[in-house]
Formats: sequence, C-alpha cells, structure tokens
Amino acid sequence: MEKKILIAVLLVALPAFAADSQWILNQNTLTYHVSHPLHQSEGMSHAAKGKGVCHEGQCQFLIAVPVKSFDSGDSNRDLHMLQVTRGAEFPLVTVRTRLPESAATSSTVNADLEIQFAGQTAQYKQIPFKLETHGGEIHITGTIPATLSDFKIDPPSLLTIPVKNEMPVRVDMTWHSQ
Amino acid sequence: MLRNTCRGWRRGVLGLAFSVCLSSALALSAAAQTVDTGVLTGTVTDASGAVVANVTVTATSIDTGQTRSVTTGADGSFRFDAPRGGYRLRFEAAGFTTSEVASVTVEGTAPSVVDKKLEANDQVNGKPPAQQENLPNAPSPSSNTAPSLADLGLTPEQTQGNAREQALLDKRTHMLKIHQRVGLITTIPLVATVILGPGAGGKSEGTATRDLHVALGALTGDLYGITAYYAIRAPRIKGTQKRGPIRFHEAMAWIHGPGMILTPILGAMAFSQKNNGEKVHGLAAAHGPVAIVTAGAFGAALLSVSVKF
Repeated sequence: MEKKILIAVLLVALPAFAADSQWILNQNTLTYHVSHPLHQSEGMSHAAKGKGVCHEGQCQFLIAVPVKSFDSGDSNRDLHMLQVTRGAEFPLVTVRTRLPESAATSSTVNADLEIQFAGQTAQYKQIPFKLETHGGEIHITGTIPATLSDFKIDPPSLLTIPVKNEMPVRVDMTWHSQ
Repeated sequence: MLRNTCRGWRRGVLGLAFSVCLSSALALSAAAQTVDTGVLTGTVTDASGAVVANVTVTATSIDTGQTRSVTTGADGSFRFDAPRGGYRLRFEAAGFTTSEVASVTVEGTAPSVVDKKLEANDQVNGKPPAQQENLPNAPSPSSNTAPSLADLGLTPEQTQGNAREQALLDKRTHMLKIHQRVGLITTIPLVATVILGPGAGGKSEGTATRDLHVALGALTGDLYGITAYYAIRAPRIKGTQKRGPIRFHEAMAWIHGPGMILTPILGAMAFSQKNNGEKVHGLAAAHGPVAIVTAGAFGAALLSVSVKF
C-alpha cells in the first residue's frame, strides 16, 4: 500500500521538476534605422524565430533572425548592408536574454541582452521593453540602442559622408506560451 | 570637296578610334591581374605562445573572391603560394575563436608573414562573456534549459556562413564604389562637352571650340567606358530580386549606353561635315539631340541612386 502511495506521489511531483513552460515567438517585426545627413532609411524583417524556456521561475530566451531577411525596399542597399555587416559569413543575428517568469505579468521589463551579429558579441544592459498580455500571448515592444561600432561595422557612406554610428533596432514581437 | 570630306571623316574616325582604344586600354589595365606569385606564410599560436596545429587557414582574394585553404602543421606554420594581391585570412580551429586578418598584401618580392595568436573559445567552454560579467539577468546558454539554434527550426542555409558569397559581396561593393566614383567624375567632362556643343556646331570658322568639344567628348567616352565596365563586371549575387531605385538606374543605362556609342559616331559625321564647310545635315544632325538625351539619362541614373549608400 505504502509503495503505491509513494509511486502516486512521485508521478504527481515529477512534472514540477520538468521545464515549466515554453514561449514561442509568433508575429514579429524588427526594424533597423540608419541615418545619413542626406537620407534616412529603415530595413525590416518579419523572419525572426524565437523560443523561451522557463524553469524554476527563470526563462531563457533565444531569438535568431537571418541578416538577409531585412528588407529596406532597395535591393542595392540591402546587398550593401549585407556586405558591410558580413551577413553572408555570419548569416544570423542572435539575441539571448534571461528574464524572471514573473516578468510576464508586468507592464515593463528591463532586459540584459547578449547580441551576436557580424561575428561580434555585444551586451546591452537594462533595455526597457513594454509588455501587453492578451490571454496566453504577450506583446513586447522596445528599442535596442545598437550602434555600428558595437559590432565593428564600417559605416557605409554616401558621397564620402558615412552614415551615423547609431543604428537603433525597433522590436515588436508577440510570444505565446505553450 | 571629296578629299576634304575624307580628311574630316578620317580625323573624326581617328578620334573615335583613339577614344575607344584608350577606353579599352584603361578598362583592361584596371581589370588586369598580374600572374606573378608571392608567398604568404606565418605561424599560429595560442594565448600562451604555444604553436597550434590543424588550424584551417583560408585565404580569400579580395580582387577575385577565390579562396584556398591550408592546415597548419605540427609546428603551427602555414604557407600559401598565391598570386600577388590583397587577401583576407581566416583562422578556424576547434576550441578557438574564429579569427580574421582583414587584409594582407602578397608581394612578389619577399614573403608576406602573418603570425596569428588565437584566443580560446569561451562559448565552447560554456563561459559566455555575459556570464563572466555577472549581469543581474544575463543569459546563460550553458544551462540545460537554454534554447539552442537547433530548437528554432532554422535551415542549414540560414545558419551556416558562406565565405565565398561574402567575398563576392566584398568584390561587388568594391567594384560598385569605383563605378560610383568614376561615374561622378564622368559628369564633369560630360557637362562641359554638352555646354560646348552649340559653339562647336556654330557658324564660326574657328575650330578651337570644336576641337575642345571633341577632346572632352573623347574623355567622357573613356571615363564612361570605365564606369560601365565596373558596373557590368561587378559580381551578381544569386537569389537577389532587384527592388527600388536600382531598377530605374539600370533602365536608364539602356538609354545612355547606346547613346554613348551613337553620340560619338554622329559627332564624327558632324565633325567632318563642319570641317568641309558644310552645314551639319542628315543623320549627323541628330548628334546634338542624341547627346542631350544621353546626358539626361546619365544624370537621371546618377540622381536615382545618389541619395542611397
């Protein structure tokens, strides 16, 4: 009898030690912005893939987006951006972060990001993001204050004037839990 | 009369031939690659200074995009016998961070020596930089629960780098930069030639303006030839669908390209007629309008992409 109770307790308790939940990236838009005294341009991607795994109150997220997927509406510029960011050699931008599971119920969250891009790794600390929860989905928006020099990217130039170093990336993502 | 016509024609044709030859020579010399070879050698070590064997060293020609690889020997050394020119070197080895040397020039005179020190790959050891810094909520990919790229369902084409394609992109950008710069320079003699056009075809008996017009026209043709060469020969990247202003830029080339061939031919005809004391007539009379349309298309092509980088 005691044996049966022990087995029953173990069966009930096991899921508590497994991965608690997962988050999958659904719709997403990542937009970079580059600025030149003569021109402003933006490139957009909807091709990011991401996953978050929560365990013991902590969620670890990985997001990856192909560099080639950014579209600025000008194939010539996109190829140039692909070249300067060494996108053929390092085809993915990856973002890793870790957040407490309780962050899902907040309206804002500050995240430490580790971004790999153009063969370089840069860290961004305490980047604020807005969160909106709708049922099992979370909508996250924010801007990563990336710069070209963070990733040792030579700024492209127009008429010998280089673009500005700042290349903020606007993030708009919807995650759903599984 | 006939003799004068022939002489005028000969001068015009000679001018045109000279222009074409000079253009070709300049373009060919720009494209020419020496066949002389040089030696690129070096030794790979780790942070402690110990030599590292079995490092894959890949040399990518900056000029041609061609790649070749060798592996370091037991003494950590490598050697390439390579055509003279600029190369980018990439060093890859298990347990070490992939490292590159952006540009090395191989000379024919003395061996180019590149000694490289590799750093141990912290990611491999499970110690990403963020973790080392102890950020409050830094990611820890070493954890068992951390998602990996394999979890995201990305295809190998999306995750694996392609050094050859990168070299093609580098070459493309390099050639298009020259295309852009020479194209900008071409506008100077082009505008001057157009401005001098009415004077060259006027009633004046003097030939100074006409000769200057011809000389500037020839210079424009030469520079245009070089500009076109660098656009035509720039590598195409597979799978790229053309979008945006580049389509208009290329459409304009179908106007100014033939125009740049037709204009000097008509100009040579007009030149000979003027030298014979005749009024420019027949097909030659189209020289001016064709030149203006050509210059207009060239300007429009330039403007369409000049606000891009």
